[in-house]
Amino acid sequence: MDQQPASVIDPVQRVRIWYALLLLVFGIFAVRVFYLQVIRYDYYKKAALSDQLKQYTVPAERGIITASLGGSSVPIVMNEKLYTLYADPTVVKNAEHVAAKLQPIIGGDAGAITKQLKTSDTRYVILKKKLTPAQSDKILAFKFPGVGTEEQDYRTYPQGTLASQLLGFVDNSGQGQYGVEQALNKQLQGKPGQLKAVTDINGIPLAASANNISTQPVKGDSIDLTIDVGMQAGLEKIIKAAQEQNKSQDVSAVVMDVRTGAIKAMANYPTYDPSDYQDVSDGSLFQNIAVTDPIEPGSITKLFTTAASLQKGVITPTTSFYDPGSWTIDGSKVSDVEEDHSTGQQTILSTLDKSLNTGATWMLMQLGDGRIDAQARSILYDYFSNHFMLGQATGVEQGNGEEASGYLPKPTDTGAGIDLTYANISFGQAYTATALQMVSALSSILNGGTYYQPQLVDQITDGNGTVTKVAPRVVKSNVISTQVSNDIISLMEQNNTNHIAEGFPYLNFGPNYAVGGKTGTAEIANPLGGYYSDRVNGTYMGFVGGNTPEYAIVVYNLQPTKYKGFAGAETGQPVFANIAHMLINDFGVTPKAK
Amino acid sequence: MSAVPLGRRGSPVDNQSVRRHRPDYWLVILALFLVVVGLTVVYAISPALAATSGGSGAHYVSRQLIAIGLSIAAFSVTSRVPLRTWQRWQMPLLVAAGLATLVALVMPVNALYPQHRWIRLGGLSLQSVEILKFALIVSVASFLARQAASGQLNNVQRTMKPLAYMLLAVTFVVAAPDKLHGQSDLGSFAVILAMIGAMVIVIGLPMRRILLAGSILALLVTFVIVISPYRRERVTTFAHPNCLTSGGYQACQALIAVGSGGISGLGLGRSVQAYGYLPEAQNDSIFAIYAEKFGFIGVMVLLGLFVALFARLRLIIERTSDVFSRLVVVGILAWLSTQMIINVGAMIGLLPLKGITLPFVSYGGTSVLFVGAALGLVFQISHYTSFSARNVQKGGGQRTMNQPHVFSPASGRSGGTRRRPCSSVYSRYTFSQELPPGIRRNDLRLTERMHEVDSP
Repeated sequence: MDQQPASVIDPVQRVRIWYALLLLVFGIFAVRVFYLQVIRYDYYKKAALSDQLKQYTVPAERGIITASLGGSSVPIVMNEKLYTLYADPTVVKNAEHVAAKLQPIIGGDAGAITKQLKTSDTRYVILKKKLTPAQSDKILAFKFPGVGTEEQDYRTYPQGTLASQLLGFVDNSGQGQYGVEQALNKQLQGKPGQLKAVTDINGIPLAASANNISTQPVKGDSIDLTIDVGMQAGLEKIIKAAQEQNKSQDVSAVVMDVRTGAIKAMANYPTYDPSDYQDVSDGSLFQNIAVTDPIEPGSITKLFTTAASLQKGVITPTTSFYDPGSWTIDGSKVSDVEEDHSTGQQTILSTLDKSLNTGATWMLMQLGDGRIDAQARSILYDYFSNHFMLGQATGVEQGNGEEASGYLPKPTDTGAGIDLTYANISFGQAYTATALQMVSALSSILNGGTYYQPQLVDQITDGNGTVTKVAPRVVKSNVISTQVSNDIISLMEQNNTNHIAEGFPYLNFGPNYAVGGKTGTAEIANPLGGYYSDRVNGTYMGFVGGNTPEYAIVVYNLQPTKYKGFAGAETGQPVFANIAHMLINDFGVTPKAK
Repeated sequence: MSAVPLGRRGSPVDNQSVRRHRPDYWLVILALFLVVVGLTVVYAISPALAATSGGSGAHYVSRQLIAIGLSIAAFSVTSRVPLRTWQRWQMPLLVAAGLATLVALVMPVNALYPQHRWIRLGGLSLQSVEILKFALIVSVASFLARQAASGQLNNVQRTMKPLAYMLLAVTFVVAAPDKLHGQSDLGSFAVILAMIGAMVIVIGLPMRRILLAGSILALLVTFVIVISPYRRERVTTFAHPNCLTSGGYQACQALIAVGSGGISGLGLGRSVQAYGYLPEAQNDSIFAIYAEKFGFIGVMVLLGLFVALFARLRLIIERTSDVFSRLVVVGILAWLSTQMIINVGAMIGLLPLKGITLPFVSYGGTSVLFVGAALGLVFQISHYTSFSARNVQKGGGQRTMNQPHVFSPASGRSGGTRRRPCSSVYSRYTFSQELPPGIRRNDLRLTERMHEVDSP
């Protein structure tokens, strides 16, 4: 027989050894697969779900915002679905190719897109925002692995920049910022739904899976504002023209329905475009300064001092008094702005007409014991604070904590000069108030003594279509008596008539309408002490109506630089007049009964 | 009893000593099972592929059906064209494969697949290395058989050197990285090495030399890995799989697919990983998707199918007396098994990832086509198996070496008059005769079994 060398393995045996090794590998594989699929199953199931199971918050459709136009509601803030293009760089294959295809659709630089697509250690990069549905469809048609688009709601503004500062905007995370959007964010937002689903790599949920959970989002409430679109647009046009003509820092104006406290128009200029809010570099432009920025309102305050004095019975509309030309209070001289003003007998009407600081101070003295004392101070404070609601936020539906309360010194404040301070308050300095506070207080005087909370929301429509009307809310009734109300209205009307004669023919509204007002030229406190000698605010407070006042109007023309004469008469009054003419011509102010 | 010249009368090719008998239908049945498994998985995930990678769902299934059709055609050609013809035409075949490889190397590459591995003609693309594998099996088997027949197997100049040169050429073409203008296909290179290695081991090259060559190759491969950054990355990510790096992503997702399958799997239509999570779901990663769908039980069935197929191949190796035929089957077994091990090993995290298909199962025309062609060769060879080789083995059952084999009805595969796989009675060729000049005893240890001796 064959004598084989012991060291050599038989070739057939080699086949068998080889095959045995093969079987061994199969055995190892079987053990390994058993380990993976049976022993480590829970671990890998979890790992799989952590990748595959995605939990989404399904944003509820945000409620729209409407305002009235010619008696019906029109949307002024709507929603638009746009798409955000994102990529998962761990899945994207051949970034250069993908970037070359995307670039013509989304624009930008293909190299930069490639770089983004190759970002390491992240599974989410945003390539482009605000793509249209058509652009999104085009991109999705490529079916690039790891490239997808996400629907996102954006606000659109069919009326452009209209009322932007009172509306506010919605940021990228879907939160309302500033204005109504922030104040009513919760209602507008609705209730987001939840979606938990096993999805494909692009996040598209796969059909039926036991792990899928979904709750439907609840649509946000729609808000119908008290704003009249036409009036708002007209107002914005007027104040823009005034700001440009007077080269003012800002012009604000508010028109309020005195019968309900409903704000019909409220605007400031300069303003911003809410659809491009990201491009606004000056954050103060987001603020509705009619609500957020109190100033020392100046002589328009004299109407409040007069109303308080009438109500307390210390004067009548026809009271006359001796004006010494100046008062010395706390060692300082209180005199009038009008240089040519001479001493002599004055009346309440002439105090308003000539805007006599000495007259307002005299009325304050009458509230006390013939001089400014604790009683005079506390009575004035009581009226300003508790009747006209100055020095406190009105609670209007504007951004959280955005509204300013203004500052009203307490009558009991110790320290030198409290009497002088109160003398200043009586003619509109030394305290601050927003345009909205002023127009609300004026409305309470004009409507016979009911202070309504200023109101921007007229009604709310929830997701099911249920409409809730927001009723006017009375903050205080009997602010003043009807008699005093009539007296003030009459004084304001006479004041207006006098002004026509004094060279302001634009204040003539004809015999069918009642129009009245009061100018203010307000000095501006210098933070370093004292008042600026070279800058003032022109203010105006007035009304338009027929038998009874309908609209109260307050104008703040802040730091105008181009005007002749007094800021109140030259920069506040004409703005008021334009507004009043607009209301009478275009917005159906009820004429006096024949 | 007389010695029969090698490769002449003893070869099944001329079909003189071993009568053609019923082939091994199990080969076809098992292969079809595997193909059907693959097609089913491709069909089941085609909506996922369509959703995440583009194309229509029908696209993948129809392409795979075409590939299977071509594969069956290739099978019928290779199973019919006599092995002698393949042997005779081995050099043109090798030259054709070489040309195909060159064409792939000079073809402009697709941005999605930057390696020089494909020949693209219109919508068709061929993976050149598959042609090369097929040609190399025929060619190397033919070469080794010839060297063995002329007793020059151990001749360094005549046998070792040509083999070494050929290996070197293959290394440069298949394994070299892109920047050296190679195909950078270390997976296929490993398969080719396994094929040639298996053939030289089985034909009986001394283990000493094989081990020497193996060590040199191991060094070479290490060098190739070290100079190629993406291979280095693959090895490091293999050590630390991490879903967040682009290199470790596929390995990690494959493990998740396999592991989340559990014992019984998610079900045929319920793979989630195929929806874009696991790259190459229909192709290189099909095993992981299968494991996700059918779980541990399914994987055992699939591995069982492969084991059964490989067992048939081993049986044919042992029962084939012709050296060339036997080497061809050895090469094919090495091809299929190595490819399967590399593919599955990567999917279950035991081996680094290689862009290599799972034979029969993976989507991909070239692989299916040439695996079918290879199986055709085996099928043809299975017509000519005998028990001689097996009987040689000591302790190989109830039959002793020199004992004439007589089938009993109990041990036969079937009764009746059909021709059986073992239709002749063989006895062992012994070394009592003079050896032909130049043939050493060692060389004959294998070849002796290739000689049939007429029944006494």
